[in-house]
Amino acid sequence: MQTVVNDVEIRGVYKQIGKNVILNGIDLQVKQGELLTLLGPSGCGKTSTLNVIAGFLDIDKGEVFIKGKKVTHIPPYKRGLGMVFQTYSLFPHMTVYENLDFGLSLRKVPKEERKKRIEQALDLVKMVGLENRYPRQLSGGQRQRVAIARALVVQPMLLLLDEPLSNLDAKLRYELRAEIKRLQKEVGVTTIFVTHDQEEALSLSDRIVVMNKGIIEQVGTPTEIYEHPCTEFVFQFIGKSNQLEGKVKTVDGRMVCIELEEGVQVLVESKNMMGPERSYSIGDEVKLYIRPEKLTIQEQESEPEIFYYNKYNASIVQMNYLGSAWEIELLLFGKRVQVLQAFVKSDWKIGAEVTVGWNPSDMMIVKK
Amino acid sequence: MEPVRYDDRQKIVRLSTEIVTARRKRNWRKYIYCGLLLFPLVALIFGFFVIPMLYILYLSFIETKGETNAFYSIGNYVHFFTDSYYLHSLWLTIKISLYTVVVSLLLGYPVALTMAKCSPRVRGLLTLLVASPLLISVVVRNFGWYLLLLPNGTVHQLLISLGITTSPPKLLFSEIGVVIGLSNAYLPFMILSIATSLYNIDPSLEKAAAILGAGPLRSFWSVTLPLSLPGIVSGVVLVFSMSMSAYVTPALMGGANVPMLPVVAYDQIINLLRWTYGSAISYILLGITLIMVTIFTRMMEKGRYREVFR
Repeated sequence: MQTVVNDVEIRGVYKQIGKNVILNGIDLQVKQGELLTLLGPSGCGKTSTLNVIAGFLDIDKGEVFIKGKKVTHIPPYKRGLGMVFQTYSLFPHMTVYENLDFGLSLRKVPKEERKKRIEQALDLVKMVGLENRYPRQLSGGQRQRVAIARALVVQPMLLLLDEPLSNLDAKLRYELRAEIKRLQKEVGVTTIFVTHDQEEALSLSDRIVVMNKGIIEQVGTPTEIYEHPCTEFVFQFIGKSNQLEGKVKTVDGRMVCIELEEGVQVLVESKNMMGPERSYSIGDEVKLYIRPEKLTIQEQESEPEIFYYNKYNASIVQMNYLGSAWEIELLLFGKRVQVLQAFVKSDWKIGAEVTVGWNPSDMMIVKK
Repeated sequence: MEPVRYDDRQKIVRLSTEIVTARRKRNWRKYIYCGLLLFPLVALIFGFFVIPMLYILYLSFIETKGETNAFYSIGNYVHFFTDSYYLHSLWLTIKISLYTVVVSLLLGYPVALTMAKCSPRVRGLLTLLVASPLLISVVVRNFGWYLLLLPNGTVHQLLISLGITTSPPKLLFSEIGVVIGLSNAYLPFMILSIATSLYNIDPSLEKAAAILGAGPLRSFWSVTLPLSLPGIVSGVVLVFSMSMSAYVTPALMGGANVPMLPVVAYDQIINLLRWTYGSAISYILLGITLIMVTIFTRMMEKGRYREVFR
């Protein structure tokens, strides 16, 4: 017996166009009512995956199920989904009302109910009163709101969003992002969101699917993806990262000791290993990754308030003020390392000697 | 408030006037250059088009009686609209032009749709093929049709041998022949103007229609067709006005059986030497074409479709 209801299930989807493998064995489950984001660089296959679910892309191998029904070769107009496009895609020769009515009239909904549902949908996206405008008479943000209403008014089984915010300016994007999250929870429709913007993905999603070169790198909640990336690609793609290199010196249960250079050693938690190979032996060449905000600068003379396992001397090379924080570049073991620091002391200047420390559990390790 | 020093003010005043004069000077130059560049064409059009047209207009208001008697009147126009032969000719011209428009629209739209849907390479090839009739001289093209459409010619024999009909209709020197010839000549204009407007349709609109539940037919009817209306209108206007004023094809393919107005006007001027009456016929043809085209475009740009045409 199945305990978790999967609204979408994709099994072994493979697609090749010419010599390019666009999707190379995609397996994915989308749970009922969740907001799932497909995240990745351009050309990673995220939009293709969405098009496979929508029915716009015919696949070479694999199966697609929506609400338990096999839809692999069913055309998009028989799938009963809702979709919002990057370019709004409102019908320019129809008013807002007619745009919303298009899907309803095809579903043969009685006229009275249609009117009620259109009103509700417009109310949901706060566009009441603009029913008789043509798309050309609306701003970008308003057009995208109407597009969302048009997708929702037919009460779709799934809501597909294909980079809906990337044509909007930064402030509007932020506003509409929150709006989409609110709407999705209010309506409770299972939603698949495609984006290349990691901030968008982290703030919106229940779960994130990170894709690269036609395969899924990792599926997880935003915190899992950010804090415990499974692969080197995921770590580098999301957030900023510092990279160090070294050799495994000793392994003892919970901790691994890495020698960066003669006499310089750092500790890493052994469970923080990324990549396909998850075992170490002494002498292995490894790469170490740590995020700028996990590093902390302390004053050289002050007594350590927090006990860090890794604590080293470094000198400040550059300081950039970002408004909400300082981005400080340090010279650590002869390498440039970025630190994100919420506060700075007055004597931290370029050239100053400081102590930088971090927790072994915050450092990720991958075999070369 | 801090006082403004005398020399500062001087400077400010001088600055602003400098800008104004500089701009004025530059504009002057620009106009001279534009005028020089346009002059050859403007002179050509004025000398060989505008003046003759005005002369013909002037001629059309002269009525001749007998050998020497000539006076200003609207008699030529009155004569045209009271003589049933000329009214029939006008009606024939309009009818054949409308048939040509309908035939080229029905044959052209699917081609334009294919061009919009196919890959850029195929599209280039198709564009070349579509435009190819324009590479052949009108006379040569018409004589080609001549051979095919002759009584008992290739098309007739084909119709009989396929058992479609035993007494095939008269193709040459008939309205059908003229419509065939004109459609063949003007199809490229129809196809290319529809295709251009189809290229401009955002492909995601069709996707949006599909995901909302519209099958291919419904999507075409509700989205593609209305949005290609500007192309249809410009194609119809082009083909219609060109058919109205076509001379060679009606003369060759229709002969005396299909006296379309341009042929009649030519006949009046060249064969009967009635220059003034021929001029009046030309202006009536021009006027009626303009009126019909204007009414048609006004009708199409009404209501919701005004949005599409913007």
